[in-house]
Amino acid sequence: MSEDIQVLIDDVVAKALAGDMDPINNIEDRVTRSKAKAALVKAKRSQPETEIKSKDSEVSEHSDVKAKDTIEHIVIASLTKNFSNFLDGEQNGEWIQMKPENWFDIAKHLKENEDLYFDSLQCNTGFDLEGGMLESRYNLHSMKHLHAIEIRIKVSIENPNIPSVESLWRVADWFERETYDMFGINFTGHRDLRRILLPEDWEGWPLRKNYEEQETYHGIVVPKVKEGWE
Amino acid sequence: MGLLENRFDDNIVVEKLDKLLSWARSTSPWFFQFGTACCAIEMMAAAASRHDLMRIGIIPRSSPRQADVMIVAGTVTMKMALRVKKLYEQMADPKYVVAMGSCATSGGPYWQHGYHVLKGVDLVIPVDVYVPGCPPRPEALIEGLLKLQEQILEGRPLTRKMG
Repeated sequence: MSEDIQVLIDDVVAKALAGDMDPINNIEDRVTRSKAKAALVKAKRSQPETEIKSKDSEVSEHSDVKAKDTIEHIVIASLTKNFSNFLDGEQNGEWIQMKPENWFDIAKHLKENEDLYFDSLQCNTGFDLEGGMLESRYNLHSMKHLHAIEIRIKVSIENPNIPSVESLWRVADWFERETYDMFGINFTGHRDLRRILLPEDWEGWPLRKNYEEQETYHGIVVPKVKEGWE
Repeated sequence: MGLLENRFDDNIVVEKLDKLLSWARSTSPWFFQFGTACCAIEMMAAAASRHDLMRIGIIPRSSPRQADVMIVAGTVTMKMALRVKKLYEQMADPKYVVAMGSCATSGGPYWQHGYHVLKGVDLVIPVDVYVPGCPPRPEALIEGLLKLQEQILEGRPLTRKMG
């Protein structure tokens, strides 16, 4: 490698480290350019401590801003003006934990409020949290503001009633039917709450943790011996 | 042989009626065209030009009333089991069943945890030939159908007990 080229490479690497990538990209000769880029990678690797520090400070600055402006906080602030006592426990995740009582009115607010405008229900699904609790989760998205949020509603397994949002988001029709089919969560106010996948005369809720397979189905024996297959 | 010897011209073959009927059946076992899961893709491949089931006299029929063989191609769920049984009952005698793939023979990958899967179609309808594989290649299905043809050829239709 001739000295001229070495000088050139040192120069462009120094400029690139300072944030200006143009000189390195403007090198005509392909070989020299790739050598310069390799030198840049090497130079970056040799000063990792300062890099990490600057990143950390950026993140902490960001998270300060974020803590006030996350969509969860905006939604909670907007809901607090109109509803009381709708939150279930402490809110410290990337979702909102709600009580089932006012859910339909809250969902209507989430959908129709101009600043929130969650016009798309992307998913609704169920969970068995064990310890006698079931959970229904809603993933909402706004086509207008391009923000998204997750709502979680916990109910006890003895009384699994959640107001249906099927009349707000039509897509919730089949989502809720599936959640009902698998977990037995009863969506009150749903206009057509039937099993969607399993036959109508099926017994039990298959995705609950305490589900037990039936002995027979319409006279068809379900074999129970399942050894030697693992 | 005394009775029949030299009583006919040379161009006449004397055989049992049983054998004639078996031969006719074995060379045209039309199968009922339906599939319940991924095995159906291999069944279609077997019927398509490369493997060409028609060269051994097997063609798909879309109605159970015109079919002789039911190829149960794929996973049979509990919900589907009742329908499969009903379709089998709608087929005219004589009828044969080929269980294709591990799901139809034993429940396959759903044996342990598939709460909704029928553990083998033989719990619902009688099966003549089992074709293993997940899914079996068309060659395997053809092998199974050839075995079925052998089985039909050896059968004695006129003396077969029904029910």
